Amino acid sequence: MFLRRFIAIIVAKIAYWASVKLFKRQGVTWAGKLALDICPSILKDLSSQIRNDIFIVCGTNGKTTTNNLLALGLEYEGYKIICNNTGSNMLNGVTAAFVLASDFRGRIDCDYACIEVDEASTRRILPHFTPDYMVLTNLFRDQLDRYGEIDITMEILREVLNACPNMKLIVNGDDALCAYLAAAENNEMITYGIPKQVGDSKEMNEIREGRFCKKCGAILNYSFYHYSQLGDYRCSACDFKRPFLDFTADEIESRDLDSGLSFYLREYPSHSGTTFSTGFRGLYNVYNILAAYSAIRTSGVCPSNFQNMLNSYKPNNGRMETFQIGEAKVTLNLAKNPAGFNQNIQAVMQDTKPKDIIIVINDNAQDGTDISWLWDVDFDRLSEVNANNIITSGIRYLDMGLRLKYVDIKAKPVREVRAAIDELLRAGSTNLYVLVNYTALYTTGQLLKAMTK
Amino acid sequence: MAATKSITIGHLYPDLLNLYGDRGNIACLLMRLKWRGIKADLMEFNTGDAIDITKVDIILLGGGSDREQKLVCESLLGVRAELKSYVEDGGVLIAVCGGYQLLGAYYQIGDDKIKGLELVDLHTIQKEGRLIGNIVLESDIVTMPVTGFENHGGRTYTGSDVKPFGQVLSGFGNNDDKKHEGIIYKNIIGTYLHGPLLPKNPQVADYLLSAALEKKYGLGELPKLDDTLEHEANDYIVKRFIK
Repeated sequence: MFLRRFIAIIVAKIAYWASVKLFKRQGVTWAGKLALDICPSILKDLSSQIRNDIFIVCGTNGKTTTNNLLALGLEYEGYKIICNNTGSNMLNGVTAAFVLASDFRGRIDCDYACIEVDEASTRRILPHFTPDYMVLTNLFRDQLDRYGEIDITMEILREVLNACPNMKLIVNGDDALCAYLAAAENNEMITYGIPKQVGDSKEMNEIREGRFCKKCGAILNYSFYHYSQLGDYRCSACDFKRPFLDFTADEIESRDLDSGLSFYLREYPSHSGTTFSTGFRGLYNVYNILAAYSAIRTSGVCPSNFQNMLNSYKPNNGRMETFQIGEAKVTLNLAKNPAGFNQNIQAVMQDTKPKDIIIVINDNAQDGTDISWLWDVDFDRLSEVNANNIITSGIRYLDMGLRLKYVDIKAKPVREVRAAIDELLRAGSTNLYVLVNYTALYTTGQLLKAMTK
Repeated sequence: MAATKSITIGHLYPDLLNLYGDRGNIACLLMRLKWRGIKADLMEFNTGDAIDITKVDIILLGGGSDREQKLVCESLLGVRAELKSYVEDGGVLIAVCGGYQLLGAYYQIGDDKIKGLELVDLHTIQKEGRLIGNIVLESDIVTMPVTGFENHGGRTYTGSDVKPFGQVLSGFGNNDDKKHEGIIYKNIIGTYLHGPLLPKNPQVADYLLSAALEKKYGLGELPKLDDTLEHEANDYIVKRFIK
């Protein structure tokens, strides 16, 4: 057993090293697969050594940022953490996070594990370990071909909650789907949310999930929406409504573009609160921060260095990551579903300066091979973002081009991302946004990094 | 001067049936009318709205999850007679995915039999495993191949008199036979293809528009549009999946 584990760890580490150093690839999932093939119990063995708690972060959007903030927040309190911070969130990626953090004898020296998990993969991962906490960020439409439908995702999560009755839930109370799911099971539940309407949110023609009460089927009435279906809801027929929020964000102020936003985070029942500020943009990041903070507090840790952590946190994984290439500021942002893309467009709109935009759409397995979701994004709003040039790129650049054509937005289709970037930089672009979906993220990030040199 | 022509598109239950980018089919029909100087109107009928189909020239019935489909069917059965005479009278209707299944006699999920609208001789039975993927068809009504994406657990079986929308060149189609996809009956097209269907298949869009104009004005001819991008996007899928 020991030998098997030893070999698994060595092989995985070498594989990881080789793929990163020699082939300049990500290599995480490959390393995890090799380790599991050689030693099927390795994830169980390693995860059982975590001294305190294991957190998993699930939900359609915001997993990576929330999980990274959670891990970093705990690290700032002096704890040792395992975190799958590259966003590899299926069984192999999660296994790799543990294997790469262990020494050659298979020993893990960590207090907490913060693991983001793809919802559909929870069934395959949780037999290996039982988390102490699950953070559930939101449930939006995502990659329908892989999951069937949002109902199937909910069914999978329901099974998981059932199988882990002692796992505490930290859920976004503003999401009727998450709140219903959590309330319907017996797991202890802590909620977070944004209690009041923020600003004068323009009525958007968004496609929203959760118009109907999951409990009784009647229409849900919303006193307001923050975005997508997140908001303050109450069933028109039964007693289902937005639950009491244990952690809230108030007084949200978005300042000018470069200084991000600030908000007052309040904790019930003590009513104690603190103002936090961050360089992030977008309401979705308030949720991410709130989720991470709630999770840390719920586990009993007092995050006294949370603001320091936020100050130092630099998104470096294609979440509004910026690159300086000559005179040009290039911003890379991931969006992989309608809710994410709508938020992305909103964030681009906050920058009123002239700009150019490249939209990169792939249809690999991890992106979802069905790209019909592009038509659920409110791309017509790109006509209001002060864009000089828009280029569509990636494997499905032609479909993306069609999407814009049918809202009368001029765009040029250019298959290769590199060629698209070169073209706009050569034309003198100084403010370039590259919006990508999942599998385009890593390669585009590498490309931009290389171009800064 | 002749009065401007106008076409009204009725979208049934966009609040329930809005999976898989159905909005794209609506946008495509509206824009292709607008680009040709034909007045284009959209009427959306949500749950609870009274449905007056005498005002519409093209009806779109989209896809939804099983649960939502059931809700839709319950309210649609209330206007079944009107829908039946609309269809028999040559009214244009495009039904995609879940909407397609509703055209038939029933949709059986396990022991649960959802009664359909009985507009076309077909029925659907849900079976283990979903049929998912890009799909390419050859259809008699257009010269270009038809491309799209299918994702359905239901298997649809059609009566012997019902014409298929197309022959499957790549993908699944109506059921596990991988032979036929969808149906054409009078001016109804029923299909599992989303993606959405119409933007990448402009000839299918124009087929519907032309049928609607023909019925309303007796003249279905449409001025040509520049469909270079549409053809390229269509051709990409054909080349990728037809070896």
